[in-house]
Amino acid sequence: MTLKQFKIVQLIIAIILGITFSQAIILKNYLIPVAVIIVASLIMLYLKRKVKDVIADERDYLTGGKAALLTVQIYSWVAVIAMFIFYSARDLNPAYEPIGLTLAYSTCLLMLTYSVIFRYYDKVKLSDKKLVYSALVLILFLALALFSARLFSGEDDWMCKDGQWVKHGQPSFAAPSVPCNK
Amino acid sequence: MTNKIKELRLRANLTQEELAQKVKARRETIVFLEQGKYNPSLKLAHDVAAVLKISVDELFEFDD
Repeated sequence: MTLKQFKIVQLIIAIILGITFSQAIILKNYLIPVAVIIVASLIMLYLKRKVKDVIADERDYLTGGKAALLTVQIYSWVAVIAMFIFYSARDLNPAYEPIGLTLAYSTCLLMLTYSVIFRYYDKVKLSDKKLVYSALVLILFLALALFSARLFSGEDDWMCKDGQWVKHGQPSFAAPSVPCNK
Repeated sequence: MTNKIKELRLRANLTQEELAQKVKARRETIVFLEQGKYNPSLKLAHDVAAVLKISVDELFEFDD
């Protein structure tokens, strides 16, 4: 397979992904995009191995590294500013609070992931303690996942009970304005 | 830093694409190398020098 053919297939897959995602949102079926993205990734991995030409060389990796760093910095700044705006305006609309929190946590996760990967390539990859470091990172991410699950589990939320919104825990936002029919 | 890549490539009757394939790089990288706009890794410099049958020292000239 030539590089040109590979790029055409890549473009077609991107178009199919776009169509699938939009249809999945319309149909409210979120399993389809997950399945499609897994299949597409496997196809791309397989085809990548079939390409005889050089897809990327050292200059691309260098440029990619610089672009990734700049992207993390720009996203972090934009997300932090947006987070403060949304969070400070939460009294105007309670829906702004989860948006602000999502932005804050996504920024933290992005920066944490970047730091871990940077550290891996900077030192760990060259050392003999790869396994220990990988295990530590796995434990850290599991702890983070548990913490996030606890945070977003709806412990502090409004529950619908006998046609009334009842407090569950200590929600920091007002009860939903939509009628409670259960 | 200047280099003699273009001169030696033409002498070896190689196109930029052919040289790129031999050193497992992209043609654009060879273009920037020849223009002196990209500092290659030691490995790429060694590979280019090997294809052009010259030493790395002779291929690249450093301004002191």
